[in-house]
Amino acid sequence: MQQVSTPDLLSELQPWLANSVLLTETTADQIPTFWVAKKDLLTLCDAARYKLDKPFTFLFDLTAIDETTRQHMVLPQRQDFTVVYLLRSYERNQDVRIKVALDQNNKALASVTSIWPNANWYEREVWDLFGIKFDGHPCLRRIMMPTTWLGHPLCKTHPARATEMGEYSLSDDLRDIEQQALKFNPADWGLTPQGAPDEFMWLNLGPNHPSVHGVFRIMLQLDGEEIVEAIPDIGYHHRGAEKMGERQSWHSYIPYTDRIDYLGGVMNNLPYVMAIEKLAGIEVPERVKVIRVMMAEIFRILSHLLFYGTFAQDIGSLSPIFYMFVDREKLFAIVEAITGARMHPAWFRIGGLAADLPKGWDKMITEWLDYMPARMADYDQMVMQNSLVKKRAVGIGAYDTATAIEWGVTGPGLRATGFDWDLRKKRPYCGYENFDFDVPLGTRGDSYDRCAVRVAEIRQSMRIIRQCVQHMPEGPYKADHVLTTPPPKERTMQDIDTLIPHFLGVSWGPVIPAGEAMMEVEATKGSNAYYLTSDASTMSYRTRIRTPSFPHLQMIPVMAKGQMIADLIATIGSIDFVMADVDR
Amino acid sequence: MPTLDLVLMIAAMVAILVPTAAMLVWFERRLLGFFQQRYGPNRVGYFGILQSLADLIKILFKHDWIPPFADRPVFVLAPLIGALAVLMSFAVVPMSPNLMVSDSNIGLLFFLAMTSMAVYSVVLAGWASNNKYALLGGMRAAAQTISYEVFMGVSLLGVVILSGSFKLSDIVLAQQNMWYVIPQFLGFVIFMIAGIAESHRLPFDLPEAETELTAGFHTEYSGIKFALFFLGEYLGMMLISMMITTVFLGGWLGPWLPPIVWFLLKTLSLICFFVLLRAALPRPRFDQLLELGWKWILPLALLNLVATAFVKLWGDF
Amino acid sequence: MEQALVELWPILLYFAFTLVLLGGVMLVSTILGPRTRGHSTHLPYESGILPLGNARVKFANHFFLYAIFFVIFDLETLFLFAWAISFEQVGVTGFIEALVFILILLIALVYLWRIGALNIRKRHLPEQN
Repeated sequence: MQQVSTPDLLSELQPWLANSVLLTETTADQIPTFWVAKKDLLTLCDAARYKLDKPFTFLFDLTAIDETTRQHMVLPQRQDFTVVYLLRSYERNQDVRIKVALDQNNKALASVTSIWPNANWYEREVWDLFGIKFDGHPCLRRIMMPTTWLGHPLCKTHPARATEMGEYSLSDDLRDIEQQALKFNPADWGLTPQGAPDEFMWLNLGPNHPSVHGVFRIMLQLDGEEIVEAIPDIGYHHRGAEKMGERQSWHSYIPYTDRIDYLGGVMNNLPYVMAIEKLAGIEVPERVKVIRVMMAEIFRILSHLLFYGTFAQDIGSLSPIFYMFVDREKLFAIVEAITGARMHPAWFRIGGLAADLPKGWDKMITEWLDYMPARMADYDQMVMQNSLVKKRAVGIGAYDTATAIEWGVTGPGLRATGFDWDLRKKRPYCGYENFDFDVPLGTRGDSYDRCAVRVAEIRQSMRIIRQCVQHMPEGPYKADHVLTTPPPKERTMQDIDTLIPHFLGVSWGPVIPAGEAMMEVEATKGSNAYYLTSDASTMSYRTRIRTPSFPHLQMIPVMAKGQMIADLIATIGSIDFVMADVDR
Repeated sequence: MPTLDLVLMIAAMVAILVPTAAMLVWFERRLLGFFQQRYGPNRVGYFGILQSLADLIKILFKHDWIPPFADRPVFVLAPLIGALAVLMSFAVVPMSPNLMVSDSNIGLLFFLAMTSMAVYSVVLAGWASNNKYALLGGMRAAAQTISYEVFMGVSLLGVVILSGSFKLSDIVLAQQNMWYVIPQFLGFVIFMIAGIAESHRLPFDLPEAETELTAGFHTEYSGIKFALFFLGEYLGMMLISMMITTVFLGGWLGPWLPPIVWFLLKTLSLICFFVLLRAALPRPRFDQLLELGWKWILPLALLNLVATAFVKLWGDF
Repeated sequence: MEQALVELWPILLYFAFTLVLLGGVMLVSTILGPRTRGHSTHLPYESGILPLGNARVKFANHFFLYAIFFVIFDLETLFLFAWAISFEQVGVTGFIEALVFILILLIALVYLWRIGALNIRKRHLPEQN
C-alpha cells in the first residue's frame, strides 16, 4: 500500500529545510514518520502541502501525546509533549506522520490553519485537552470541555476517574454560571457584529433540537430565514473516551469503542483490534477476517438505513424511517443471534472474535438478503425518486472535491463529489481485496448525492455479505498467539508454559509491546482510525480516535452561508453524523 | 327567535364537535401507524380509543403556564381565537337538510371570513410568545396563509357561478344531477390544496415544521392552550373535509342511506386521504411553497373561473 | 330584516356556546393545574441555551411584500365575488368586463413574476455561486 519508502520521502522533503535535519522513526504501522524542529514546522508543512510534486493535500489527523510518564521507547528527540500531524496525499496514496517535540514550559507552536483549514478544530482540541497553544490560530478556545473547566484533561497529571476528584453536584448557582458561559457572544468567536443590534436574529439551533441528531449546537445569524453566519459548537456529548483508553486494559476498552459511533457497532471494534494486532504482531485466521468483514458490513447497512430514514424525515417525509426500522429490527435479530447483543455487541477480540458463528447463521442472513431488495426498490420510489425530495436536496449544501479534501471530508461525503477513494479498495484491509464490489460515486456533491451514494453502498454491502455467506472459510475463530485475548484455552490444562500466560492475559490483560500503530477503516461515516501508543503495559499509553464526523461538522459554515433554515436542515441530515462520534 | 329544538341542536353540535376532533387525533395516529407498519396508540381502552380522553385529562392537570416574557393577554387570546374561528365555520356547514346551525344566504362567504380569522391566531401566538422559533413560525404561517387565502376564494367562484348562490344548502341541492367535482375538477384540486395549507397539515405544515423550528409558532405553548392549537388543527382538517364534501362532492346527497351518513362517509374518506398525504409526502421549502402558490395556482384558479363562466354562457351544461 | 335575524340568531347562540366551552376549558385547566416553579421554568426556549437578544428584531422585507400582494389581490378578487353571484343578471357584458379585469390581474402577476418580486431574494449567498 505504501508506495514510497521512508528514505525516498525523506530525500524529497529534506531539501526544503535548509539548516535542520529531519529525524526518522520506525513505527509498527510502517507510516514514514519524521521529527521536525518546532521552528521548521511551518516550512515543512508548506512544502508538503504546496511545493511537492503530488502534494499532501489532506490533513488526516492532528493530535498530541503527553510524554511525561513514558518508560520505554525513549528517543533523544522526545520531550514532554509531542504534537503529531498525519498527512495524506491522495495522488500518491501515501501517508506521512510529522512529529514536533514540545517542552513542558513552552507549550506553544505555530498554527497550520492557514495551510489546512480543517486544522482549526483539531488545534482547538489539542489546546483544550493538552493546553498546547497554537500561535496564529484564528479562534483558539475550548472545544470539548466547557469554557469553565480548569485544567487540560489529557495531560497525565489530570485525574482520570471520578474518585480522584472531589464530589460533584450541580447547584442552581453553578448551573447559572454554566448557562451564562454557554451564552453566545459574537466577539468570543471572532465575529464583529455589523449593523444595528436588531438587524439580525441570533438563533441557537441546538443542542436541544430535533434535527441536530444529538446534542449539537449551531449558532445562526439570520436575516429573515436566510443564514448569514453559522457557527457550529460541539462538546456536549464529550465523554472522555480517549482518556478512558489510558485507564482500561487493552481488552476491556473494546466495549467503549462500540459507543464512539454508536450506530456502527462492531465497525468500531475493527480498527481498534486491528491496531493492537499490528502492535502485537498477531496474524488472524482467514475465517476471522471474513466474519469481521461480514459483521462490519451488516453494521454499515444498519447505519446507512438509519441515515436514509432520518434524512427523509428531516425534509419532512414521515414514513420511510418506520419502514427502515422494520428492516433494521430484522437485521438486529440476526446480529443478536450471532453476537448476543444488538447495537453494541463489542464482539471482536484482540486476535479474533468472542465466539464462533452459531448454527443456522447463514440461513438467517440469506433470508434477509432475499427480502431486502424489494424494500430498497420501494424506498427508491418513496424517497430518491420523489420530486419534492429532489427539489429539497438537489444542489443543496454542495461542495466540490477540492473543498471536501481541504476540510477533511472522507467517506460517502467525499465520494458524492465524484472522487473515487474507498479505503477498502485503495488500501484493502481485513481481506477486502478478496471481495467483489463497486464503489458508488456521486457527481454534484450535494445533499441528494450524499444520500444516493449511501443508498448504493447499502446494495454493495449486501453483495459483500452474500459473498461472505457463500465463501465462509473453515478454521479457528481466534489466532494462536500468546497475546490473543482471551487466549486459546485448549492446552492450558496440560502445561504450565501456556497456563501462566493465559492466567496473566485474562487477569491483568495482555501486555502489548511498546510502539505505536494507526489503523484506519472505511467506517460507516467515513475514515475512522485508532492511533494507539503502547508503553509496554497492560493499558494503552495514548488512545487517539480519529473520527470522520468531527471534520464533517467543522465544514458546516462553508455549506450554510446563504441557505434557508430548511436547507440547513437538509444539509445537516445529509452529512450523517452522530455526536458521540464527534465528541468521543 | 330560536326554538327550543334549535337551541338543543346547537348545544349538541358544540358538545359533539370538540370530542370528535379529539377522536380524530386518535384515528389519525392509528391510521398513520397502519400506513407506517407500526401500531399507534393501542393501550387505553379497546384499540386505544380512549387515548385522547386520557390526554385531555392529563392536559387539564398541567401547569397553565404563561411565559413572563410574553405579551400575556395576546398569548392567552391567540389559541382561543384559533379554535373559535374554526369552530364558528362549522355553523354554516349543512350536514343534512335539517342538521345545520344556520342556513345562511352568505354561508360560503362566512366560511371564508372565518378561515381568514384563523391566521390571526397563529401570527399573534408567534409574536406574543417573544421566542425566536415562534416568531419564525408565525411569519411563515402569515405568509403561507395569506398566499393561499387569495385563491382559496377564487377556486370556489366557479361553483358559485354554476349554482348561482353563496348559500351552502343551495350549492348541495344544485348537485343533484352531477357533483361539482366533475365540471369543477380544477377548482376542487385547488381548493383542497388551499384547505390543507390553511389547516397547516403536512406537506404544508411549515409554520410548525418540527424538524426545522422545533414547534414553530406554538413553541412556548403548553397545557390546555397548546391543546387548543392542536384541536384547532384537527377541527380544521374536519372542516376542510366537510367543505369539500359540501361544495364539490354533493354534500349529503346519495341514495339509500340517510343524508347524514352520506355526508359523514364522504367526509371520513377525505380525512383518510389527508392522513395518507401526511404519510406519503415530504415537506417543500418555504419559498418553494409560496412560489407554487403565486406563480402557478393563482393564475390557474383565475383561468378556471374564466373558463367556467365561458362554458356557462355559451356551453351546453 | 326578518330573514337576516333568523339566520343570525343561531350563529350568535352558537358563538356564545362555543365561547363558553372553550373559555370554560381554559378556566378549568387554570384552576386544576399545579404551579410548578423550577429553576429554569421561566426562561424562553431556545434549544437549551440562554438567548442572545430577544425575538423583537427587524424581519426581512419579503414577508412584507407578500402581505402587500395579498392585500392587493384579495381586494381585487372581492370584485369577482360580486360578479360571480350576479352572474345570471349581468350576462355577456359582465363576463367581458370580468375578463378584462382578470386579464389585468394576470398581467400584474406576470409583471411581479418578471421583476422577481415573487422570489425570495438571497442576499447572503457567497459570491462564487
